Amino acid sequence: MSTASASTPEGTSPANPSAPSAESTISPTDRTILEYLRSKGYKGAEKEFLAAVEKPASDDKGKNPEATAATSTTVSSEELVKSEAVQSQRPSRPGENALREPATALQELASLGNSTNVQNLISSIDAVGAEEILSLDPTDKQEGFRELEAWVDGSLDMYRPEFRPILFPIFCHFYLDLIQYGFKEAAIRFYTEFSPSLGPSHSATLHHLSTLLLPAHVQNDELAQRFRNEKYTIRMSRSGFDLLVGWLTEGVGGEATGQGEGFSGEKGKRGRAAMLRVVNNHLRFDVTPSSTTSVSLNAWEESTGLLSSAIPQANGNATLTNPNSFNASKGELKLGPAPVPEELRAEAERVMREQAMMDRDPGAQYDPQLYSKALAPQPGVVAPSPSDLPPYPPSFKTIDVKREVERVRDARKRIRLERPSTHGAASQGHAPRNLPLPSICAYTLHDVGEGVPCCTFSMDTSLMAAGFSESYIRLWSLKGEKLKGYRSDFQSSSIKDVREKGGDTTRKLIGHSGPVYSVAFDPVSGSAAPPRYLLSASADATTRLWSLDTMSNVAAYRGHQNPVWDVQWGPMGIYFATASRDRTARLWSTDRTSALRVYAGHLSDVNSVRFHPNSLYLATGSSDWTTRLWDVQKGSCVRVFIGHQGIVSTLAFSPDGRYLASAGEDLAINLWDIGSGRRIKKMTGHTASIYSLAFSAESSMLISGGADWTVRCWDVESAGGPLTKTRENGCVLSRTDLMATFPTKRTPVINVQFTPRNLCLAAGLYLSPEQR
Amino acid sequence: MNKPNMKPRLHSHQPTAGVFKADSIRDVAESLNIVNLPDVVASALASDVEYRIHQVIEEAARFMRHAKRTTLTTADIDQALRVLNIEPLYGHFPHNPPVFRRAPPHPQTTAAGSVYFIEDEEIDFERVLREEKLTLPKGPRWTAHWLAVEGVQPLIPENPPAIPKDIDTEQAVKPGSPSRPHSVFPPTPPSDRPSPIQAAKKQQQQQQQLVKQVLSRELQLYYTRLTSALLPPSASDLTKRTAALASLRNDAGLQALLPYLVRWVGEGVVGALKNGVQSDNDGQVLEVLLDVIGALLDNPTLFVEPYLHQLLPPILSILLHSSLPDSHAVNLRTTASHILSRLLTQYSTTYPSLPPRIMKTLLLALISPGKSRSTREGAVRGLVGIGKEAVRKGLVEGGGAKVIGSECMPGEDSGIAESVMDAFRVLHPQSSSPVPLDQSNQADAEIIRQLGEVLGELFADRLMSDSAWARGVLIGDAAGL
Repeated sequence: MSTASASTPEGTSPANPSAPSAESTISPTDRTILEYLRSKGYKGAEKEFLAAVEKPASDDKGKNPEATAATSTTVSSEELVKSEAVQSQRPSRPGENALREPATALQELASLGNSTNVQNLISSIDAVGAEEILSLDPTDKQEGFRELEAWVDGSLDMYRPEFRPILFPIFCHFYLDLIQYGFKEAAIRFYTEFSPSLGPSHSATLHHLSTLLLPAHVQNDELAQRFRNEKYTIRMSRSGFDLLVGWLTEGVGGEATGQGEGFSGEKGKRGRAAMLRVVNNHLRFDVTPSSTTSVSLNAWEESTGLLSSAIPQANGNATLTNPNSFNASKGELKLGPAPVPEELRAEAERVMREQAMMDRDPGAQYDPQLYSKALAPQPGVVAPSPSDLPPYPPSFKTIDVKREVERVRDARKRIRLERPSTHGAASQGHAPRNLPLPSICAYTLHDVGEGVPCCTFSMDTSLMAAGFSESYIRLWSLKGEKLKGYRSDFQSSSIKDVREKGGDTTRKLIGHSGPVYSVAFDPVSGSAAPPRYLLSASADATTRLWSLDTMSNVAAYRGHQNPVWDVQWGPMGIYFATASRDRTARLWSTDRTSALRVYAGHLSDVNSVRFHPNSLYLATGSSDWTTRLWDVQKGSCVRVFIGHQGIVSTLAFSPDGRYLASAGEDLAINLWDIGSGRRIKKMTGHTASIYSLAFSAESSMLISGGADWTVRCWDVESAGGPLTKTRENGCVLSRTDLMATFPTKRTPVINVQFTPRNLCLAAGLYLSPEQR
Repeated sequence: MNKPNMKPRLHSHQPTAGVFKADSIRDVAESLNIVNLPDVVASALASDVEYRIHQVIEEAARFMRHAKRTTLTTADIDQALRVLNIEPLYGHFPHNPPVFRRAPPHPQTTAAGSVYFIEDEEIDFERVLREEKLTLPKGPRWTAHWLAVEGVQPLIPENPPAIPKDIDTEQAVKPGSPSRPHSVFPPTPPSDRPSPIQAAKKQQQQQQQLVKQVLSRELQLYYTRLTSALLPPSASDLTKRTAALASLRNDAGLQALLPYLVRWVGEGVVGALKNGVQSDNDGQVLEVLLDVIGALLDNPTLFVEPYLHQLLPPILSILLHSSLPDSHAVNLRTTASHILSRLLTQYSTTYPSLPPRIMKTLLLALISPGKSRSTREGAVRGLVGIGKEAVRKGLVEGGGAKVIGSECMPGEDSGIAESVMDAFRVLHPQSSSPVPLDQSNQADAEIIRQLGEVLGELFADRLMSDSAWARGVLIGDAAGL
């Protein structure tokens, strides 16, 4: 330790002209805080604080605050050197911060030796009392928060939306402080007084915090530790930030007239000090030059919160605090359609031509052109080359050809759910042409026992599979055909009765030992033939592969340590991905029992996993409120989508590969532009959890189904204004892009999906009214 | 044990210390033979227990969400305990939720709050084995329906009824208006049974929408004026009534009002016939209502066909009712039969099952025992209205004449006998110069025997005076000519 050279503010004051006046304004409490900060090495905080307390003096001299801050740094430069030395001597404890037991802090300070400022601190502690120095009086926090709330509410309308978000983190930290120091009753009082005003968007987090009642809980609770160790990012405009700093330091600025003189009295000072400490230690202000009015209503959702851990850090050294900068740093993505091998393409075209001759279907002769058009890269997106794809078998099978042919036929025959092209009827003049609405066929399950967590339809709509809470899977033939597996005891002489006798139109698959949370049919046969395999994920931490030829379990994939929430086939089969409670998503191939890739990074459960249509990327939705996009092969995160104010429950890629829709427990559906990582719009309207999302084949329409017993249709392309209470055909539309709402009879819709021909299928289970 | 005097202090000490109270901890501790648990320990434990419970519930909520449910079940709690590495609580099943009951307050510890316990039901095996039949549940199954067809939700039982927002708001806006003509109109059209013609559900739905939309204010006013002009007949003068009927007969654009008019007529007829109908006034009401039906059928711009099923009951009721007021009975029945015949000629081609169904009703009234004479008379008139074939079937082949003849006094000259004779005249015209049947002639004697057999004594006697007529009635046109 460098020897203390009497360089307290008093000592240096003769050297600086501005110091004496500053000194006069600094109260003893402020000084001790300053010194405390200094001793802990919080240079930024110290600087800010010093600038703040010296501001009145500088104002006298007509200087701006920045200039004063500059001068004050020169004043304290010696102390900075010194305090850095102090810091370097102590064993550095990452993660530990300024808030510690007062006794140990004092001891520590005393052990640091005879530096004058430390002596000063100790003496002032003796005078005022250790408790108050460290702001441990519970009432001042309450007082301070009340002042802050009054100030925010009294601020100008243009600043209020900017200031509101500050309340929440400061509230959380005050509450955690109170709990940590054992002021349980004060904490509860604080909570009951201020939590109702914080708004419904934080209710889940607030509720979680309210369950923490003992210091040990704060130490162990994950969310509390995130609050402690991470900086809460708040976006603010330059002028708003200046106002806030001014108010925090002086108690003036920004508030409405007649609001009182800000912090007053001893208690108010301590409250302010506590607030400053939170602001300095735990908040990061993302100061933007843009004016406050130009920021849209929901923009704060994307830039506010505990972001630093939600955003994957690239190299460790450069910390990215903004999801946009992270997304930009990851470069361009290849979102075009996956290339089809040349041989397969040629063969498919040959078959198409053949069939067009045979069928004498006038539409069929254009199939080859349609096909090549569908495969052509679209403008604006980069198509991947064959080498970008994960390895696939080099040869193709008959079923591949059939699938491709069927795909083109579906494209030709499907119900058009896009706006009629404006070229033909441009002269008509009515500008926003309405999207045609879809036809929805609802499959309702009755008499299920404990529940059906998942349900899905095969692409050719011949089969429906549902996973049950009672650990089994049930298959139904939707065409009324009998489901017969291959017999295991057939005679080689009579190969004719290789199929089972009898059979029913439904079949039970038993193998899991926990609720089945997800089922998926393999996509290889497309809509040309019934699928041959089924995947299922369960609470027993396994994923199972079922053969629909033998109607039996053929493989169990173990690796996840916790319940598997979701499973999804890759768009071309072979690979599949799972999402689990153990905070990872994994990539598997059907022929290996261990995972090929582990996608780790989410801070909480991964609830949902979806493949990008070209199989290059994987999207995961998590309980940490974020959605991430991963490079399938590299296993690295390439995009992060922040904006949901709740758990992300389900996802959907648009078939054209450009958009990602995510639904969360905040009852909103967000539409993201994958390329830029930016949110296009937020769609609200559901009144309960959203369970399923689906895009139409043209990517022009989004269908959602949820626990509010409705299926809703959303217009993807419309800008979607906020609440416009227009009355059209008798139904009140809450948003312009909510095209239709179809209520069901007490049926939570657990799955919606589009067939390749754009018929929408919805599945739900009927809740009889007597069931609670 | 100093528990009672400790409590007040504790309560003041912890005003809002969460849901879980320190007292509960102390109770549990006592049950585990740990007495005199210090306050601090108890309250700290209470806080911790609450936190742990919240932890379990938060974890269980994830399982609930992934099970796509909105109620937390014991299975979720079990799953949560399992992933938190705690042994699950066995013995709870979501399909058999435990029922908690509140214990009656203990006299000594009133301050302790309510105590809940699980009711342990005693099962009497003998009774269960004797009485209860175990039925296997059907197992899960599915049904499919159209939730939307090109964006329109079909009104089928599988879908919830459409939210009648339009009507709600309309009614909410209008109650202030002085005349309130709309109050006559029910929010849903009165058609409760879809007619076979519009079997397609979509059509039905369209029609329902149609009715909802076109109840303009003008039509509502027209409706009130019209009905007040027609009824009650004593109050309104004749010119008004004829004008109203003329308007109904000729005016276009009344289609929207048709369901309401049809219902009005139906209700009017029911109302008039219900209470005995002996008064003159009721007779007049019925006459007017019949006129209205006639006018509706006459109007070439109205599409009455979907409402036939609602129009027929009033007509048949008037025709067959047992006790019409004497002064109007004949007139009413004749008018009703005329309307019936007109209706049949108009719609029997498009609606081939209509005449047989009406025939059946009339035949029942004519032949089945226990019907009053006036009912039978009405039936005869109805048959006349339907046509020659119906009369032959009913009176001659069905034995209607015989039944009536047996009920009439010989020689009596009542309305019913006259109506039967009228019906015979429909079958075959009376000859201008009647030649009576000759008893001695063998052929004639045979006819007389047949007459007596088929028509009964009474009518046989009456027909005997005209041999051509008698032959015509008995054998038919071909034979008679």
